[in-house]
Amino acid sequence: MCDIGCPHLQELKSTKGVELYRIIFSSFVAASSSVARKRKAIHCFCFVCKSIDYRLHSCLQCVYFGCYKGHHIQDHAKHKKHYLAVELSHGNILCVACGTYVYDDEFLNVAHELMVRTGHKLGMGALYRPWEPSAKVLELLRKNPRRRKIVPGVAIGLRGLINLGNTCFMNCIVQALTHTPLLRDHFLTEEHVCRPEDQAGCLVCEVSTLFQEFYSGNKGPLTLHRLLHMIWTHARHLAGYEQQDAHEFFIATLDVLHRHCKASAPALPENENSQPDNPHQCTCIIDTIFTGGLQSDVVCQACNGVSTTIDPFWDISLDLGTSARGGNNVGDEGSFNSVGSDLSLSGDSKQANNGPTTLIDCLERFTRAEHLGSSAKIKCNNCQSYQESTKQLTMKKLPVVASFHLKRFEHSSRLHKKISTYISFPEQLDMTPFMSSNRNNRNLLNSRTSSSSSSSSSSDSAGDWISSGSGPLSLSDNRYSLFAVINHLGTLDAGHYTAYVRQQNNHWFKCDDHMITRANLQEVLDSEGYLLFYHKKLMEFQ
Amino acid sequence: MSRRRTIDASYDHINNDGKEKRGVNKKAVNQHLTIEGDKERFKELLRRRLTECGWRDEIRILCRDAIRDKGVHNVSVDDIVEEVTPVGRARVPDSVKKELLQKIKSYLYEKATK
Repeated sequence: MCDIGCPHLQELKSTKGVELYRIIFSSFVAASSSVARKRKAIHCFCFVCKSIDYRLHSCLQCVYFGCYKGHHIQDHAKHKKHYLAVELSHGNILCVACGTYVYDDEFLNVAHELMVRTGHKLGMGALYRPWEPSAKVLELLRKNPRRRKIVPGVAIGLRGLINLGNTCFMNCIVQALTHTPLLRDHFLTEEHVCRPEDQAGCLVCEVSTLFQEFYSGNKGPLTLHRLLHMIWTHARHLAGYEQQDAHEFFIATLDVLHRHCKASAPALPENENSQPDNPHQCTCIIDTIFTGGLQSDVVCQACNGVSTTIDPFWDISLDLGTSARGGNNVGDEGSFNSVGSDLSLSGDSKQANNGPTTLIDCLERFTRAEHLGSSAKIKCNNCQSYQESTKQLTMKKLPVVASFHLKRFEHSSRLHKKISTYISFPEQLDMTPFMSSNRNNRNLLNSRTSSSSSSSSSSDSAGDWISSGSGPLSLSDNRYSLFAVINHLGTLDAGHYTAYVRQQNNHWFKCDDHMITRANLQEVLDSEGYLLFYHKKLMEFQ
Repeated sequence: MSRRRTIDASYDHINNDGKEKRGVNKKAVNQHLTIEGDKERFKELLRRRLTECGWRDEIRILCRDAIRDKGVHNVSVDDIVEEVTPVGRARVPDSVKKELLQKIKSYLYEKATK
């Protein structure tokens, strides 16, 4: 469909072009500069009744503002024979002679361009635009008039997976991945384009086919022998018929998929980690969905200098141990009321402390400032000396899918055991408290002034407005909802994996190899939980 | 500087009485929001909330029905506005209204006391 407006608009366009419209739009509809906003604030009111709302319009042929409800813009149009006017909150063009709004592609393009520019200037990110089918999609829809409707209760997307001999670790991860909404949409819309020379052994193609199979409407169980073979050849440490760790398999799968996507993507500049704010330059689907940025702030206790690094992550491993280091490093640090729970450097667990009982507890512990102690002095970049310091991890950037790994398998020097502590996890999760922007406001405010941080330079740009977690006008939204849970039954040596997956937004199913049974939310939330998958509720438009 | 004064003036107005106060107050607040660009931000926030709760889709359907009822060739924007507006207003979820109201309040309070 092509919009060409009405004869009156055509006449105006042929004599004066779209420039006038552009000027009015950029000054009064989407005012991007502060001068324009000031002008808009002071001058925008109806010339007759002085009101500022009631659908204010601006004449497109002379300087005149009039409201629609009070009939003032229409009066002006008839009196002066200036039939065209711009509506000032959306920028649509009214033709009073035709008695309706008229649309012309050229004008619409100007409007869109200016809207986007203003959105960026005000730090609002990209603006929402409803999806419209492309010509190709329309053509396909016309050629294939048969539609399959997704009605409540339909079992689409549920396929059992045959256990090929201790392959439940793979089956449960495949179930979780195939029920990841964004990943599913990616593969079902055939977004993956393979280079011809890769086609024979392309793992991504295999996964793509798998997704098509899953949602084909067939109900029989699937056998994943091809996928298993490919994983074996690409991740040799997982080859063989032994029992494997589902978490390890998950990470290996993402890694292999990521490498394949990267290889088949049109050449991207290969400079990783060059920008601190953007730890993942890769635009492959795996990175788009699963990669987040973890910020680590090391604060020197002598000069309060902060050194910040940001590392990409695919999942968050959370310690469940009841142990926490404490004692010697608590008292002296005032603002941090940390008991120094240690996550990666753990080893000497002496002091018995109540372990975490909820996912939130675990995340609190994960993002708490931790004293590195006198035995681990680090050279401070600021004061150039070896000092004791504290380290704090926060989320710089959240992934679309947040995967949490509860470290239920403890492998310390002395003992290997499974921790079966009950950890409750919510269906809805808000990650805002664990964001860097949020934590920095609270904890590092004092040290920020003397900070040598690499990220502080950008903090007052307009772009930061959207990512800052606090303030009444924050548009950032960090809410997640649970969509898959993987459970491990049994002991460290021998066990079985099952998965709970969410289908059609509010139905839960338990996937135990080839058996799929209906489950309810409470059952899911009461389960032990080994890997938890949360999907972001709202996407940013980019 | 002048910004501060308009806001202060608008708050002074609340303390005085008189019928005109709401109008003047509203105008000053509107000007302030427009100059800062925050009006657009509030609008964007509202737009996002209405989209995410499904209001936008509901209204889309209502408009489509209105057009279908009248026939696509003899329907005007005015007709649709008249028919859909009351329903549309009523269907804005209370939670959205509450959030926006609370955010605008705390925003104005912050600006006025700074």
